[in-house]
Amino acid sequence: MSDLSADRVSVAFAGLSALSEVDLKVTSGQIVGLIGPNGAGKTTLVNVLTGFQPATEGTVRLDGQPLSGLKPHEVRRRGIARTFQGGRLFRDLPVIDNLEVTGVGLGLSRAAAIAEAEAMLDWVGIAPLADRIAGTLPYTDERRVAIGRALMRKPAFVLLDEPAAGMSAQEAQDLSALIRRIASEMGCGVLLIEHNVGLVLDLCHHVVVLDSGVVIETGGPAAIRASERVRHAYMGTAADTNLPVLEVME
Amino acid sequence: MSHPVSHGSVARRSIATPVLLGLLLVAFALVALAAGSKPFNQTIIDIFLKVIFVVGLWVFVGNSGVISFGHIAFAGLGGYVAAWTTIKPMMKGLSMPGLPDWLMQTEIPYWASAGLAAGWAALWALIFGSVLMRLSGIAASIATFAMLAMVNSIYSNWDSVTAATSSVVGIPIIRSIWPYLIAALIAVFAAWAYGISRHGLALRAARDEPTAAAASGVDIPRARLIAFVISGAIMGMGGALYAHSIGIVTPDTFYLGLTFITLSMLVVGGMGSLSGAVLGVLILSTLIQTLRWLEAGVEIGTTTFALPGGVQEIGLGVVMILILMFRPAGIMGNRDLSLPARAASETKGLQSPKT
Ligand SMILES: Nc1ncnc2c1ncn2[C@@H]1O[C@H](COP(=O)(O)OP(=O)(O)OP(=O)(O)O)[C@@H](O)[C@H]1O
Ligand SMILES: [Mg+2]
Repeated sequence: MSDLSADRVSVAFAGLSALSEVDLKVTSGQIVGLIGPNGAGKTTLVNVLTGFQPATEGTVRLDGQPLSGLKPHEVRRRGIARTFQGGRLFRDLPVIDNLEVTGVGLGLSRAAAIAEAEAMLDWVGIAPLADRIAGTLPYTDERRVAIGRALMRKPAFVLLDEPAAGMSAQEAQDLSALIRRIASEMGCGVLLIEHNVGLVLDLCHHVVVLDSGVVIETGGPAAIRASERVRHAYMGTAADTNLPVLEVME
Repeated sequence: MSHPVSHGSVARRSIATPVLLGLLLVAFALVALAAGSKPFNQTIIDIFLKVIFVVGLWVFVGNSGVISFGHIAFAGLGGYVAAWTTIKPMMKGLSMPGLPDWLMQTEIPYWASAGLAAGWAALWALIFGSVLMRLSGIAASIATFAMLAMVNSIYSNWDSVTAATSSVVGIPIIRSIWPYLIAALIAVFAAWAYGISRHGLALRAARDEPTAAAASGVDIPRARLIAFVISGAIMGMGGALYAHSIGIVTPDTFYLGLTFITLSMLVVGGMGSLSGAVLGVLILSTLIQTLRWLEAGVEIGTTTFALPGGVQEIGLGVVMILILMFRPAGIMGNRDLSLPARAASETKGLQSPKT
């Protein structure tokens, strides 16, 4: 059992406060949702948790140990993996090499990395795509490659930044099933950032809602659904598309 | 559970590339042998040396995507190792009186000096690289240029051990083409082995998506440093052999001229692949040689046709521009030579993305 936490994390960009005193905790096998309107600070928090962005204040801890000052690759080597909002695949490399990079980055030989990558592609359901050049894949497959790449060597935690963006309802459903398996079969702690609030409330044990860098609500899916503040935060933005989803859930 | 295509050994899948490139070099050597003329021999030796330099450059530049203007400094370090260790002690005493006694008395065979040069250059690549590899993009490129200028300046001024800007003569001249061929083959196979190694893969990933590579556990400065040291070693070996091919070194032997021509060959051939590096040398060298002959004059029947002087440089520039206009990623782009039947998937190990 392992836990990853942000303790009163604040980040300021040249005066603009992107995060202020954010608390968040993910434990093994748990799926935690992180939602909030555009610009709420979700990606910034993932960046802080993975060593890409130093916190102006506050601490990130893994099992109680501060991770301050670690570089991104060092954070990954401690078992905290992530995906990126834009995918960021190695577009000119074949799919299998995309996964292999994590294997060799974490110290495997190429042969061992290839073997694990093959098994992982199968696990995320895209084994037939192994030899395709990553840049030629459709959106949905790209997401699975990114997730497979993050899951290589079985990290203790994986932070998924909008993995369902642009997916159809059916595709999002399939992705939900995969995310569930990451937590249940692999025992990973998952932090799920998603604009598809329905999907998050459906999947997550616990949800944190950010707005303008501030945590405005936390709790189980039922509590989030009932929250006036959450409803208000979403109505206050141009992201109207999120609203119907929230209503459907009620 | 298992995938339909086995991804087995990367080495087996990509070995065709260095073998084909090697055969191409052997073919050049055989042509030289058949021609049997001394100047032509020297031309072929020069081509093999360029192959060593450009392949050495590719190991770093091709895989990291960071253009280096400084690699010829490592060739220079190697060239002076040849001078320090192979010139007869008596002659050394005249031109480089400041050498420590043990070095003054050292006189080793050319191949040993080439090996030593590789080690010496690798050591300096490690020292310079530890600092430089933290930089990226244009800052890193400028810093490599500064390194070249620094080494040149030190060797131009430290007269007691380098004879400053005057020529250091008396380096045993090796006229046989075979040592150069063997060294070029070593360079090609070493570069291939690096390219398919886990370090090579990690560095190519970091070149294309540094952020994602770091998030995949790749220590980018370290991955770059490994490539820098290996490429430094290859350049050092080439520098020593260069010295043995002409018997003389000066600091300016290893400066802007050689930097420009080797980078041009790499870019024209295509820095995305090892084959691009080798073919860039072979194609541009052949072109340069042809223009040189035409400049010198060709007798057809009773008339001699000769191009006006200076055409060589102009012709070379025009051809380079044309190639880059039509193939901005170089002649080979990011493809490698491979056996036709297996071409589609087999070169994967060496293929380098974006160029
Ligand atoms: N490197 C940076 N420099 C300056 N400001 C930044 C930087 N990164 C993010 N910001 C700002 O911080 C705020 C939070 O951005 P962030 O990307 O974390 O939001 P988000 O919740 O992920 O939004 P989205 O849903 O659009 O992905 C925004 O106002 C953004 O403009
Ligand atoms: Mg975001």
